[in-house]
Amino acid sequence: MSSSTATPVLAVQGLTVQRDGLLAVDAVSFQLARETDTALVGPNGAGKSTLVAALLGLLPRQAGTVLLMGHALGPAGQLPRSVRVQIAYLPQTLSLQGRFPLSVAEFVGFGFDPPGPRLPWAGGQRRHGAVQRALERTGCRDLGERLLSELSGGQLKRVLLAFCVVRPRQLLVLDEAQAGLDAPSSEQFHQLLLELRRQEGWTVLQVSHDLEMVRRSCDQVLCLNRRLRCSGAPDHALSPARLAELYGANVVPYRHQHSPGGRHG
Amino acid sequence: MWCPTATNTALVGVMVDGAALAMLLDQPFMQRALIGGLLTGSLGGLLGSFAVLRQLSFFSDALGHSALLGITLGLLLGINPTLVLIPFAVIFALLINQLVQRSRLPADALLNIVYSTSLAFAVVALSLMETYRGGIHQLLFGDILGIAWPDLAVIAILLLGALVYLALSLRAQVLLTLNDDLAGAFGVRANWHRLAFIILLAVVVAVSIKAVGVLLISAFVVIPACAGRLLSRRFPVYMLISGTLGGGCALLGLLVSGLTNLPSGPCVVIVQFAGFMLALLVSQVRCWSPAIAVPAGPRTPGADPAGRE
Repeated sequence: MSSSTATPVLAVQGLTVQRDGLLAVDAVSFQLARETDTALVGPNGAGKSTLVAALLGLLPRQAGTVLLMGHALGPAGQLPRSVRVQIAYLPQTLSLQGRFPLSVAEFVGFGFDPPGPRLPWAGGQRRHGAVQRALERTGCRDLGERLLSELSGGQLKRVLLAFCVVRPRQLLVLDEAQAGLDAPSSEQFHQLLLELRRQEGWTVLQVSHDLEMVRRSCDQVLCLNRRLRCSGAPDHALSPARLAELYGANVVPYRHQHSPGGRHG
Repeated sequence: MWCPTATNTALVGVMVDGAALAMLLDQPFMQRALIGGLLTGSLGGLLGSFAVLRQLSFFSDALGHSALLGITLGLLLGINPTLVLIPFAVIFALLINQLVQRSRLPADALLNIVYSTSLAFAVVALSLMETYRGGIHQLLFGDILGIAWPDLAVIAILLLGALVYLALSLRAQVLLTLNDDLAGAFGVRANWHRLAFIILLAVVVAVSIKAVGVLLISAFVVIPACAGRLLSRRFPVYMLISGTLGGGCALLGLLVSGLTNLPSGPCVVIVQFAGFMLALLVSQVRCWSPAIAVPAGPRTPGADPAGRE
């Protein structure tokens, strides 16, 4: 194993974050090995989204270190461009009130070039080719000319994956990406994510409430409730005793019904 | 120079036919006004294309109303109001921005408190100044006929700067509009761009007040952008249509104002509204026409007929 392969994609040590003056994340440490799928679970208000925001450099931290691909995240979220370009983030939703005059192809194209100033028309041919391939791979080939605001929830999530896959990346961070989807759409999105992860060799960190999905497909689970309560393989971390400790009594992982009319829950 | 001269105004008032239009266009003050209107209208439309999507329409309205306080301060201090207005608008915008970010109150309520209070102070101060009572009308509804060549130079530089900044940061601006965290994770300096945009918007509002007045300034920002939003399916096209409509409507509105001796601000806004209604009509015709409408792609199971889940 080469040293670059051995270096964790993400290494967090003693991370402490305050939000609105309250301690939201307290001395959390963990690592993500390359090409693994890790779920971050915990009750509402446990600090999951705050932790993710701090890892990406979107929130200041009070203590601790964050190493992304071996590079230290600066106090104000600074990262070398070569590292930043390897990270993709998939939010719960986009702010698309009313008619938003941006086509799907334009949006996906925004993910192609590295961060920094660029003229809108620069690199058009290369970008166009990459966008078409990304749309094809995510089953969005026919959506390129649609407006983002005209998409259904399921289509929008697939377009967000196209945004991530339009250029090679190492780390994909998802914040409750399946929230708001019905059961078939959620399953379709999950299968697409698994397939792309295999093809792209992504390391995935996903905030999720779908414990059955986490049990089925993740390599590692981090149970957060301000502090890291437990971590490890799903069978270990999602045992009834640990779930009861994390969420309170009588919590069991719910199961998807895979039939089209199946109930999510 | 803030107000038109009495001679100029009287000259404008009697001109209503084609020959009069030619004579009007021959007047240096009218040429300056039209160039000023074209530039400020384009600027308003261009900045408005982002302001509307970021729900900053009310912010620009509050800024415009509060500008009256800046003008009043300039008059009280004996300084040309135009010189005071730009720094006042920028400082005021930054203060409002901080207040909205730090307060736990809804932004619209805070903006309402700020603009109505500053407007009240400004009107009280102006009413105490006997010599300026006659000028209130121009402040409220605009009179671009008094614009001077140095003003035009400032506006032209501002338009050029805004064009370059928005072209280079288009992707960052759009991502920021869509989702703060998505933009930040992608490497966009979200706070820097948000601040830069608010400053730019404040400056544009300040320079446009001469054309449209404090009461109607938000129309310069909002109406062309909303019309462009109805007509565009590509973001650069949206910006282009918004800027062009803003400039074109300002030009036409000022000509109407010049020919009828009506206040420039309301004339421009009425023309902008006509442009918006036209855009609404065109967008509805497009929706109904199967040859023009974009074909719907495959639907995700569970999506409603309107395309939203």
